[in-house]
Amino acid sequence: MDFEDLFETAPCGYVLADLDGRLIRVNRTFAGWIGFSPEALHGKRLPDLLTVPGKIFYETHFAPTLRMKGQLNEVALELVASDKRRFPVLVNARESLGVDETWHQVRFAIFLATERRGYERGLLEARDKAQATIVSERADSELREQFIAVLGHDLRNPLASIASGMRMLEKEGLSERGRRVIALMGGSVVRASALIDNVLDFARGRLGGGITLIRNEDEPLEPALRQVVAELRSVAIEQQIIEHYALDEPVVCDHVRVGQLLSNLLGNALTHGAKDQPVRVNATTALGELVIAVSNGGSPIPPAAIEKLFQPFFRGHDRVRQGLGLGLHIASEIARAHGGTLVARSDEIATTFVFTMPLAPREEN
Amino acid sequence: MVFAHGFGCDQNMWRLVTPAFETDFCTVLFDYVGAGGSDLSAYDAKKYGSLEGYTEDVIDLARSLGISDGVLVGHSVSAMIGLMVARRAPNLFSTIVLVGPSPCYVDEGDYVGGFSREQIHELLAFLDSNHLGWSEAMAPVIMGNPDRPELGEELTASFCRTDPEIAKHFARVTFLSDSRADLGPVDARVLILQCREDIIAPPGVGTYVHNAVPGSEFVMLDATGHCPHLSAPDATIAAIKAFV
Repeated sequence: MDFEDLFETAPCGYVLADLDGRLIRVNRTFAGWIGFSPEALHGKRLPDLLTVPGKIFYETHFAPTLRMKGQLNEVALELVASDKRRFPVLVNARESLGVDETWHQVRFAIFLATERRGYERGLLEARDKAQATIVSERADSELREQFIAVLGHDLRNPLASIASGMRMLEKEGLSERGRRVIALMGGSVVRASALIDNVLDFARGRLGGGITLIRNEDEPLEPALRQVVAELRSVAIEQQIIEHYALDEPVVCDHVRVGQLLSNLLGNALTHGAKDQPVRVNATTALGELVIAVSNGGSPIPPAAIEKLFQPFFRGHDRVRQGLGLGLHIASEIARAHGGTLVARSDEIATTFVFTMPLAPREEN
Repeated sequence: MVFAHGFGCDQNMWRLVTPAFETDFCTVLFDYVGAGGSDLSAYDAKKYGSLEGYTEDVIDLARSLGISDGVLVGHSVSAMIGLMVARRAPNLFSTIVLVGPSPCYVDEGDYVGGFSREQIHELLAFLDSNHLGWSEAMAPVIMGNPDRPELGEELTASFCRTDPEIAKHFARVTFLSDSRADLGPVDARVLILQCREDIIAPPGVGTYVHNAVPGSEFVMLDATGHCPHLSAPDATIAAIKAFV
């Protein structure tokens, strides 16, 4: 084997230097890149052939690390040729015993890496760009959620004024038509309040607050559920709601939240169900679980839509009566906060939403 | 006797020098926050946004160890930190040794620091593309180093590695700092060790520091590069011994 040729024309640059990095010998491959004659290289140190950042990196990190560890791999540097052209390279270095076994020599293997360095620079740029985008997006979205939260909160006050104004009018002794208008307006106030509650919960959830529960185990749940049904019944006078309760065991849950869940499910059924068929509400306790089911008749929900029902801002193809598309999302979040589930089934006979939760919170850990 | 490392490495840089002083001195080695074995989570980009933050830490360290009349040996950026410590808390150290000091790396007016501002900014971009050279997370599988059995496996893998982002920030603070206003007379005796061939802190800069610190002693070491404590440990030890 011709070792001389193997050294001189290897497909990488070979540089032998003393411990100070002063060149002792370079192979022909390296000399060809760098364009200096052997005479011109005489007395030069490896950092002399690097860009300024490379020199600083070499002196402050590369050389000390090499001295201490004896080797260093895959260091990205740039060589500056005699005509000032730059060659991106990857450098592996190793200290080794010299021929006389008494002093150390440094051997560098140098690989051209123009394309690889370009690729890495591209990756870095993409990373920086992605990070900048994330930061600005995050700020934007936080501002948006805060705006929603403030708006929702501020809408409550005028709504409360409208409700109390209506109560005052009711006492005035109205005509038959006047009473009907007041009842309709009452329904609108109930719907608007529910929308605001959902918007606020959603915004809070996005802002990291999540849904907080105030669990109640002393009061029975049934009256709270009945009240929700009565409220919606007063608004949807033409539709029939059939209630059935079999709550034989106490349920440790947040009554207001479970009421909100039922209100969202029932409101959804009244809006989207067939108007000539009854909406059924079933609340039972059995086998350690609370189950609340709300079902309505009418055309079934397509399977593709069922998967998306609980996503925020999802609205089906029913363009006639549109809400924000938050009701079912909030209901599923309330179910989740209780350690329960909310699932939907839909066929030609009925569309049913079933909320299931354990009667008492499971012990954590 | 406290040894403070410079940019680019950690306290292990001193391992060829400190043993020579262990018989006569109680030696103290430390890593700056953000370097070596320090708690990286304690790195506060605001505090360490200037050399003041590091100066405070050295003063706190010396006070908590009850040091008085001590010797502080600072390499590179730590040389300037050493002078700032001597100025702020003159009772801690009576001797300061500056190894390769530079109060300002950037050329400005008549002052020749050795680099242009653009070149330093180029350095910061360069450090961004050299994550492999720093990152702890990318440290290769720990392996023994038959050539350096004394280092042990752990040190071989961790030597001079740190979080690349911190390394970059430290580089910015170091190489864009201008501490020329912190030169001037100090109570402590000051020794300047200058390498004959050092592009980071060239001899002209060492002479500048020597002239700006009245009464300082200047020793030119026959050494190449920026780290004489590694490239010429014997000469470094001899020069420090002769002074302390």
